[in-house]
Amino acid sequence: MNEIQYIGETLWPGQLGHLFIIIGFIASILAVISYFFAEKNRTNKEGKPWLKTGNWAYGVHGISIIGLMGIVFYVMLNRMYEYAYAFNHVSDDLPFKYMFSAFWEGQEGSFMLWMFWHIVLGGVLIWKAGTWKAPVMAVLSLIQVFLNSMILGLYLPFGDGTSKIGINPIVLLRDVQDAPIFANAEYLELISGSGLNILLQNYWMTIHPPTTFLGFAACAIPFCYVVAALWRKDYKSWLKPGLKWGLFAGFTLGTGILMGSAWAYEALTFGGYWAWDPVENMSLVPWLIVIAGIHTNLIAKSTGHSIRATMVFYILSFCLLVYSTYLVRSGILEDTSVHAFTEMGLENQLVLFILFFLGLGFFMFFKRYNQIPTNQSEEDWNSREFWMFIGAMVIVIGSSLITFSTSLPVFNAIIQYFDPLYPSKVVEDPISHYNQHQLWVALLMTVLAAISVYMRYRGTNWKNYRQKFWIQTGTAAVLSVGLTYLALLWINAVAWQYILLLYASIFAFLVNMDYLIFRVKGNIKASSSAIAHIGFAMMIFGILASGINKSYISSNVFAQSGLLNGMDDEDLLSNIVLIKGEPMFMRGYIATYTGDHYDGITRTFDIDFVKIDEDAKPLNEFSLSPNVQYDKQFTKIEAANPDIRRRPLEDIFTRIARLPAQQIDLESARQVEDSLQFNTFFLDLGDTTFTSNHFLVLDEIHHRILHPDRDTTSEDDIALSLKMRVHSLDRDTIYTATPGISLRGAFLFRYPEQIDPLNMRIQLSDTLIEALFHSETQLEFNDYEAGRGEVFQYNDFDILFVDVNREPWHPNYEPKDGDIALSAILEVNDRISGERYRTEPVYLIRDGLLTNYKTMVPEAGLHFRFSKIDPNTEKMTFQVAVQPMQTRNLPVKIAENVPRSDFIVLEAIKFEGLNFFWLGGIIMLLGLLMAMIVRIRSKMN
Amino acid sequence: MKKIHIFAGLLLIGAAVLLVLSSSDLGTYYTFSEAELLEEGRNVKVIGLLSKDKEMVYNPEIDPNRFSFFMTDEEGEERKVVLLSEKPQDFEMSEQLVLTGRFQDGEFVAREMLMKCPSKYQDEEVFVRSES
Repeated sequence: MNEIQYIGETLWPGQLGHLFIIIGFIASILAVISYFFAEKNRTNKEGKPWLKTGNWAYGVHGISIIGLMGIVFYVMLNRMYEYAYAFNHVSDDLPFKYMFSAFWEGQEGSFMLWMFWHIVLGGVLIWKAGTWKAPVMAVLSLIQVFLNSMILGLYLPFGDGTSKIGINPIVLLRDVQDAPIFANAEYLELISGSGLNILLQNYWMTIHPPTTFLGFAACAIPFCYVVAALWRKDYKSWLKPGLKWGLFAGFTLGTGILMGSAWAYEALTFGGYWAWDPVENMSLVPWLIVIAGIHTNLIAKSTGHSIRATMVFYILSFCLLVYSTYLVRSGILEDTSVHAFTEMGLENQLVLFILFFLGLGFFMFFKRYNQIPTNQSEEDWNSREFWMFIGAMVIVIGSSLITFSTSLPVFNAIIQYFDPLYPSKVVEDPISHYNQHQLWVALLMTVLAAISVYMRYRGTNWKNYRQKFWIQTGTAAVLSVGLTYLALLWINAVAWQYILLLYASIFAFLVNMDYLIFRVKGNIKASSSAIAHIGFAMMIFGILASGINKSYISSNVFAQSGLLNGMDDEDLLSNIVLIKGEPMFMRGYIATYTGDHYDGITRTFDIDFVKIDEDAKPLNEFSLSPNVQYDKQFTKIEAANPDIRRRPLEDIFTRIARLPAQQIDLESARQVEDSLQFNTFFLDLGDTTFTSNHFLVLDEIHHRILHPDRDTTSEDDIALSLKMRVHSLDRDTIYTATPGISLRGAFLFRYPEQIDPLNMRIQLSDTLIEALFHSETQLEFNDYEAGRGEVFQYNDFDILFVDVNREPWHPNYEPKDGDIALSAILEVNDRISGERYRTEPVYLIRDGLLTNYKTMVPEAGLHFRFSKIDPNTEKMTFQVAVQPMQTRNLPVKIAENVPRSDFIVLEAIKFEGLNFFWLGGIIMLLGLLMAMIVRIRSKMN
Repeated sequence: MKKIHIFAGLLLIGAAVLLVLSSSDLGTYYTFSEAELLEEGRNVKVIGLLSKDKEMVYNPEIDPNRFSFFMTDEEGEERKVVLLSEKPQDFEMSEQLVLTGRFQDGEFVAREMLMKCPSKYQDEEVFVRSES
């Protein structure tokens, strides 16, 4: 095959990018080696130069990866579609604000983002980690080696074929795709980018991934410290920096997850913020385990207990994080998750990544197991560490249960590898399954978050404050009963398990509030834990309130009953049809779809709600405006965006579930069009015509388009509208219709009228244009001569020649240099009706040839030509013809049984108390942030 | 033995009990013929492919919560399915469906459906765009 010389490609970014990938990879390996020897030679003077080399290597690695990111970004920004990543993720019309979203939409981009944060955090470690620098950076560099290999894009001969190591983000499109178009040297002219999925064109997509990946990167640091501590056999002094990084990881990853659920709730159409989807679960688990690690880390720092547990938790959290990456990116969850992910051939590499670090962590741990110091004294039941440890255990056990169920597809795949006939196991009803056991986990966590706050480490002075403890806890417990009763008036908790959890959340809230206000009295370090626990208790309360009280208000049980035989569960039926302008009773509301409007490709629907009480008396009114987005070419709907009414205690969530078929995409529209059966009727002005179900009266004929959809961008040559009244035979209502038709140059425009309540479509026949206006040849023109300001008469019309216009306009005339072109401004006055019209026929000499352009006054049936100029007398010659208007036998096509196009299918959900969840989440994260800041500052002092 | 170990042990036993109890939530994917034989009121999951040549009916004016179509399960059996929801976006493009529901009066009534759509980065993209 001949090499093709492609035209228009820019190749240097690819070459430079590839160089950066290779340099970055080699530098990360070099950093591992250097830091390794720096740690080995820590006590002698050889260690220093190794450490310096390590820092340099890590720096080079960092610059390479950031440089690579810059190049990929440059390629995307300049729409260099010769590069696969630009082709797949951007398009010409993608606004700059979504450029970052497009950057991390793909796997390659998200790996780079992950590495970027490791580089940043590595920089912080080099700057701040002190004596721990070498071993911690050695482990972090090792992680970077693995991550860098994911974007290596190397093909190695392996067995019969080749095996791929990583995906190069800066690879040429023609190198990864085999398509006939690449036989064309100018293929670049022909392709354009596929753009960013419209669901991801959202500000959450700009901030959620970077935050989450910062959390990912942060989770790696405690892991690095654990490995470093085991390696150095220094089991205690890492606990302090470990805790800071653990808190940082808990804060950042928690923020990322909370942002994800906010995004799911307000922009995606999942109808909630959490659905126990595998992808959601596996992002939650590493965070939960980091939280468990923070708790045992606190114990270890204060009492010397639980060092081993802390180590295990930090190792697990990082490995589970990589495992979640594997689950998300490998495509193994495709049967169980709503999040669509495609496999990219990195599965084996990811498995190796997990196994390597899981192996490294636990190998080191068990090798040193017996050396790790433990506190031989027993934790007393009245000590804080006792209950904190139990709490951490509860978190980890809860996480294990989630991980087990979520991993079923993995277990299936492994077993089927050995026994292909093994039937895949699956959780039949995920939400109730997870709720069932997580309820108990949450209950224990909440109770422990309450009782442990009054306890002290090692149970110091228990005898002195024992009485106080019981009084305070007891008071809170009693108060909570009353508050739970009040809450139950609002939250319709049916099961006793829910009531118990509700009670526990209120109890935990009260106890921690009491602790915060009366006990710590401004001690920030002590208050951070109480604040985090208060937030957690509020979250649990919010989950219960919104989960139990979630209800579809978009269902009209009365209107919909009997439609489905044997259906008892009306809660299931989430959709309701709203017809434009017709109020609809829903549960506790009256909803009216009042109209819609376009803004670019976005079509917004206005829906008025009236909240009513049991006697159908209106309580309050509000409007919601969910929208749908079409694609650029308006060929189909790409996304439906919800609109939410947020109130302190209640959210109303609305989403357009479906539109009439003809408005969804071109294909469906065509199908509907093809299914219509038109019959032609001949209408007479003023007379009545009967169709099969209705009758209509033609009232007026107009020579312009009356239809609201008229394209106003340019003038019509000829236009016609018929105004008619349509009566339904079985209803009293009368509808007015003004179907139209127009000619614009060579194009015919039809303006059919649809009367949705009658399922009727009225369209003027194309032959009407001809029928109404005779062809030119049949016109008989009379000549008139007139000077400026003179009037001549034609039939019942006075025609005034007002002036000459030297810049004439006529739909058929295109100005050209050298033209002599004029138009005459004529004012036509109908002596009988008194109507006045204006028209400007055009006179043209082009290349020595004389020609003119006709105009008409359709209302009067007059045609004008401007045919001659006498330069001596300055008199102009006009030709005028009249044509009687046809008012009988006007052909009109009418279809009946046309599907309605004036309705929406709406889903409306009421959530109660959701703000407790969001507010609680934010407060909990603030608690974590405070705890971290306090500890960072205490080191400085 | 420390008290804390006893507590931790109790927790683990509790977890094991929860695991065993919730293992009844685990099932396998069913075929249509298996699902039809099950006792009433039990929801199961069925995997299959959309029968693209068969009719799909969604008439929101009559019932916005009823969408019917035909699916062929992994054993090649084709049955009518009623989804108690709207017709999802891009349904015709789906490659694989996972339904959760049960048989009622000879139709498989699905409460939930997961559809797998082809990736947007398919090779044909290049062909399509090169024509215009």
